[in-house]
Amino acid sequence: MRNDDDGMMKEIARQLRAPLSPPVSGSFDARVMSEVRRMPRHSRFRLWSRLTTPRTVTVIPLSWGLVAASIALFAVIGAIRAFDDIQVATKPMVTALFPSTSAPKPPQRVQFVLVAPDAKKVSVVGDFNGWDVDHAGYQAQHRGGGVWSVTAPVPVGHHRYSFVVDDSVWVADPTAPRVVDNDYGVTNSAIVVQEQK
Amino acid sequence: MNRGVFSLVGLLCIARPVLAQDTRLSAKLDKPTLTAVSAIVDSARISKLPTAPLIDKALEGVAKGSDGENIIIAVRQLSLRMGSAKRALASTATPDEVKAAASALEVGVSERDLARLRAAAGKQPVTVPLAVLTDLVGQKVPIPTATNLVLQFARSGVKDSDLALFQRNVRSDVDQGADPTVAATTRARGLVARGGPPPKPSE
Amino acid sequence: MEGSSDGVIVARVLRGDVEVFRVLVNRYRDRYARYAFHMLGNREDAEEALQDAFTRAYRSLARCEDPERFGAWLFRILVNRCRTLGARRGRRARTFVVDEVAMLEAAEDHPAERNAWREEIDRGLQKLRADQREAFLLKYVEDLGYDEMSQLTGVGVSALKMRVMRACDRLRELLSEVHSA
Repeated sequence: MRNDDDGMMKEIARQLRAPLSPPVSGSFDARVMSEVRRMPRHSRFRLWSRLTTPRTVTVIPLSWGLVAASIALFAVIGAIRAFDDIQVATKPMVTALFPSTSAPKPPQRVQFVLVAPDAKKVSVVGDFNGWDVDHAGYQAQHRGGGVWSVTAPVPVGHHRYSFVVDDSVWVADPTAPRVVDNDYGVTNSAIVVQEQK
Repeated sequence: MNRGVFSLVGLLCIARPVLAQDTRLSAKLDKPTLTAVSAIVDSARISKLPTAPLIDKALEGVAKGSDGENIIIAVRQLSLRMGSAKRALASTATPDEVKAAASALEVGVSERDLARLRAAAGKQPVTVPLAVLTDLVGQKVPIPTATNLVLQFARSGVKDSDLALFQRNVRSDVDQGADPTVAATTRARGLVARGGPPPKPSE
Repeated sequence: MEGSSDGVIVARVLRGDVEVFRVLVNRYRDRYARYAFHMLGNREDAEEALQDAFTRAYRSLARCEDPERFGAWLFRILVNRCRTLGARRGRRARTFVVDEVAMLEAAEDHPAERNAWREEIDRGLQKLRADQREAFLLKYVEDLGYDEMSQLTGVGVSALKMRVMRACDRLRELLSEVHSA
């Protein structure tokens, strides 16, 4: 019996020693190196203290050129960021959310309904509106008898969303599939919007 | 002067990945969190994973009042799950399928079962089946049971609209006190046997 | 660089050559992914623990006392990461339902499925207590001696022997049930 048992443990160990196939996902090395590159290089610890020690710098024409280029660079970055803000605010949400080479499908009008008799405000938040409780167009109206509803544009595709009551209480849609949230501890709802043909 | 122009162009090229990030993140995250999240998003982009869900996950964390460290962990975990999802569903998986599969992985569905669903569904999208599977598991239907039901639906060619109705019926039954597994298997029998959902009792 | 010892590569990284760290990642990734997978039970957690271990190792590299044994030092970091992740998440419960639902189960399996015996071993392993699973893997899969295990885990040798023994007993029990079923 003992020989058989030892044999069993050896067999189990043999099975467990087999290499995983594949051992890790294809991008594992790239992810590690990407994180590592963002950390301070070991030799830079010494360089950083040299850079932060105050001392006199003599400015020469070439340096002025580089300083001017840096100022111009930051001005350009500022302008592009401002432009991006305008773009994000006005371009259709479909293209903002789904990187795609094909023409974006138009958002569909979806009705959201929640029964919340004691609520003063009900908003719909989700990955289609940046989870913004004050996003115009996603504020439910009280229809009477505690029934709140809003019909709002939602891009075609899979989305996670929730109701937020009085800006503080997150409520999953009772009629929709749920998505457990282990990250932030608040269950969301899921919706798959398909193109109406 | 030419040297200055080339420096400017060179610096702009290096800065491009940062500029490509969603500006909503930079408005809402503190600097260390933004740096870490941007790195994860860049890695995902290199791995050809959808990046919008990662940005949304960070925004969701802000909306839910989460701290920076938790947001970073959540975004990274989602990135890993999406990587696993794409591996299981094959590289042709759509961003929606990857998102839905990542949610299924989060509740404990295995990569192997994702691959089985992909095989069972053939060319049909698996987004809705995955959402239904995630919902069933979330309602405490045991994972093997829920998985086998959804696999059966896929093999039988059940339409997405019928799946959505199945999910609502099960939820309604559970809300009225039914055991989730009994509700799911009962409703599933009707769906598979008759080729469509049975009428609701009130109809 | 691929053929160079750990000590040589660590020295290069400490002098600022970040890219050469990739050689160390490549060198230890597969073997340690296997440990993390068996310890945590799924690839997603295993990759997270392993990625964390590598980045922590990079960050604290200057504190590695014996760069020639970088691998062993990295492994200690990984063992700790697995403990932290395992404690934070808990085991994913696996419930096997044997009831009328069987009539809806698929008869055929995916052609790419691993062999059933290996799956039973994996399931049995996940049913062990975390400390017993860790001790079992270090002893039987990583092939460490008890003194090495004690240095790695900070647990005394006799406690480790007890954990290994209990892990073996439990695995025998679980896997014999499967065989007789």
